[in-house]
Amino acid sequence: MSDWTRAKRTDPHSSKPENRKRGIDGSLRERETCCRGRENGGHTDGSYRYTEKRHANFTTPESTGPVSRCSRAADWGSQVDDEDEMRRDVHRDMQRRRILGAEVTQRERKTSSGSSESCDSREGENMETDEAVLLRRQKQINYGKNTLAYDRYTKEVPKHMRQPGVHPKTPNKFRKYSRRSWDQQIKLWKVKLHAWDPPTEDGQDKVLNIGELGLDDVIDIELDFPTLPDSDQKTTASLPAHSLSLEGEDCSGTPVKVQKTESRVEPDMA
Amino acid sequence: MLPSVMENTTDDYKIQSFDLDTQMLLKTALKDPSSVNLEKVSDIIMDQSLKDQVFSKEAGRICYTIVQAEAKQNNGNVFRRNLLNRLQQEFKNREETRRRSLQEWVCYVTFICNIFDYLKVNNMPMVALVHPVYDCLIRLAQPDALMNEEEVDCLVVQLHRIGEQLETMNSPRMDELFFLLRDGFLLQEGLTSMARLLLLEILEFRAGGWVLSSTAHKYYYSEIAD
Repeated sequence: MSDWTRAKRTDPHSSKPENRKRGIDGSLRERETCCRGRENGGHTDGSYRYTEKRHANFTTPESTGPVSRCSRAADWGSQVDDEDEMRRDVHRDMQRRRILGAEVTQRERKTSSGSSESCDSREGENMETDEAVLLRRQKQINYGKNTLAYDRYTKEVPKHMRQPGVHPKTPNKFRKYSRRSWDQQIKLWKVKLHAWDPPTEDGQDKVLNIGELGLDDVIDIELDFPTLPDSDQKTTASLPAHSLSLEGEDCSGTPVKVQKTESRVEPDMA
Repeated sequence: MLPSVMENTTDDYKIQSFDLDTQMLLKTALKDPSSVNLEKVSDIIMDQSLKDQVFSKEAGRICYTIVQAEAKQNNGNVFRRNLLNRLQQEFKNREETRRRSLQEWVCYVTFICNIFDYLKVNNMPMVALVHPVYDCLIRLAQPDALMNEEEVDCLVVQLHRIGEQLETMNSPRMDELFFLLRDGFLLQEGLTSMARLLLLEILEFRAGGWVLSSTAHKYYYSEIAD
């Protein structure tokens, strides 16, 4: 690790998302320069420079050979493999969405009207189906999910405990949104996720290992827009306090946060 | 295999220029990829593409078939991965290649465009190749390259084949390329009349939505004119 990167890591004021990313193997990554701000790789000779010095591949237990550290791997072989995989994932998600959508509409016909099932696969006809759009959105979602913050968040707050407006929700890539609206949702979602950034030396984070439900982001409900930028900041700032209402080292007894949320659980949470 | 079947494969994939042993290797790769050294096969194909213009024009087809065959047989992608990485290596050295041998450079561009055309991922072109292909074509549109008919010819042929797809993948760069082509056509001194003809035709071709109007077609391709 370079001196520069080491310095960045120990700086308590440094809270940039790039410093919190983890590699596929779980270890904290060095500051990423390859994942951001570049659409389709460089387009001049100069832009390929960055790739040569970095160790772009490593192996994981799941892979049979070298695996790229991110979707902007240095070599074309890995880039295309990643592209392939992502396309297949998106197609699979689309299939699931169609099936879920069909199931939900059937269920709704059976129950009485006024069901507050806020599953938005209801509008099967209004689904976003443009593959290029879905791929782009999936890429953006992947950037957000491939962070320590997201990892800690999902471990700490299982889906059934999440409160709309308070806890970040992955934007639903299948819904029709304008480009601006979508990009804004992604930005806000990532900002909210920062609340779960790993602690710096002087921070005091307690991680509650309540356990993770295995539901995937296909059934995520859309992100609620905050009405004011202020209130969003307050929410973000207050989250750590909210989730860290434990004093002391151990988590004996029902965590305070769980108690609080139980009294406010809403019926329509997926 | 029956001789006639073997002949078809040879012709389909334009592998006549390989020696018989290599032809056999390639045919085996098509039928039973896991039984051959696919890295070696991709190297052979890459090397030949740089030397053999006829082969480089259609090498994408055989590559596509092998990729599909390997994926189907054991979900592997050794061939594709190695091919792409070789392609990338050659791309990094392209300026040197061009200096050393115009023929090799032209073959390379033909090959990479052919790969872009044939090797689709879930029916879409590989995003990873979009910028490199543009880089190559834009290089061909530079003043020094426009002076060589082989380079101009290569440029227009590739644009005919993949121009529309490329534009879909990235329109601003196509604009960038065509700015150069207009400039070249108008301002470049010393262009041969053939080069100017080729440039004019491609300008009209794109302006017509990647289709040549029937009258334009008559002008450029009719046998009647001297």
